[in-house]
Amino acid sequence: MTRKAACLLFGVLLMTCASATFSFSPLEVAKPDLGVPFIIYGIFFLSPAQGLIAATVLAFSREILSSSPPGALLFASVGLVLSCIFLRSRLYIESRYTFALVCAASVLTESIIFLALSLFAKGETKDAYNVLIFSVPDSIATGFVALFMFAFFEWTGIRYMDRV
Amino acid sequence: MKGTFVIIAAVLLLVLSFLLFTNIPVFQKGYVRAKSRLADGVGPVLEAMKLPVRGMNLVIEEYIDLVGVKRKNRELKETIGKMELENQKIPELEKENERLKSLLHLVEQEPGKLIAARIIGEDVMNWFKCILVDKGRSDGIRERMEVITPAGLVGQVIEVNRWHAKVMVVNDTNSSVDVYVSGKNTRGIAEGTGQTTLKLKYVLKNDDIEPGDKLITSGKDAIFKRGFPVGIVINVDKNKAGLFSDVDIMPFNNFKKLDEVLIVSK
Repeated sequence: MTRKAACLLFGVLLMTCASATFSFSPLEVAKPDLGVPFIIYGIFFLSPAQGLIAATVLAFSREILSSSPPGALLFASVGLVLSCIFLRSRLYIESRYTFALVCAASVLTESIIFLALSLFAKGETKDAYNVLIFSVPDSIATGFVALFMFAFFEWTGIRYMDRV
Repeated sequence: MKGTFVIIAAVLLLVLSFLLFTNIPVFQKGYVRAKSRLADGVGPVLEAMKLPVRGMNLVIEEYIDLVGVKRKNRELKETIGKMELENQKIPELEKENERLKSLLHLVEQEPGKLIAARIIGEDVMNWFKCILVDKGRSDGIRERMEVITPAGLVGQVIEVNRWHAKVMVVNDTNSSVDVYVSGKNTRGIAEGTGQTTLKLKYVLKNDDIEPGDKLITSGKDAIFKRGFPVGIVINVDKNKAGLFSDVDIMPFNNFKKLDEVLIVSK
């Protein structure tokens, strides 16, 4: 339990560190979504409940470090958790590469969920171009980062606890 | 059974976040308060991370400077040639100088009204554009205060915590600023696109506007005071279908290269 909480805290710290780094780096095209690997690992390697807790905490942290409208990132993350719960018994992550691929696909799913929310809740499409233009580079960057994060999760030794 | 409970909890969270997104005041007030309490802890962490990150950035920049020194020398020689031509533009620069002097005069006249802040973080998502500054509630920062640099407008404060504040930059998709063209009667709304440039909306096709025109805040949106430079018109397309022209603006500030900003307290 303590190790899982520490792992989650590390995720929040990593996100804060990313925010500090982004303000100095000229790179604007791709910003990896550092919360996604934690959510995916939680759902597929621990339990859906752990995934939901990770999604809520990390989405909340992301909203603190972003100018997103209230609830938008929480909705996208919880939407991702629900779609992953349904895929849990159908999708098998056997290596770090599959994990990276799933993380990359999850970033795309999150952006689609966010766009659907903007469209249905406010009838706005002004974010569409902006979100879509960044989704692909973001997902590639997240996939790349997920390769290393998988190694970190393995190192923590909290995997395959009640894998279905 | 446990799985069903998780799905129910997730659906409830989904509904809650939907209600928050649709701006229902009861939900939003509590959420914003909770977020603000938690965000109080983020400021010191960002402050602590600023030093190593800034140091690392300095080392990288120094290295890049060394690598590019030859290329820079050649470029500088070309620049000298261009600058001789630029000298002809002195009257225009004098005008700009006057504008900047007036901004400086504003600082000298009301030193207490401008709060200098350093940038300590940036939006973690690139769907939105915000910066985090190292001044917060304890320094007198409040929501909706304008944020400027001597070059021009940066944005407005949207969230204030004890140690830091969040500034929505004018190129965020949720940002709109009422502006007018300097020296002309043309007015419009400068909207963020999420990209480097802004769009000037609601400019009629017969309005007097052309590339090179400078845009200044009009003060009519009740957020930004009149007179802050926003950007320069880079493209005007009057062949677009509809009543209005399609106008692109390049902001005076490069938001990726900002180190310090000034917050105008009310």
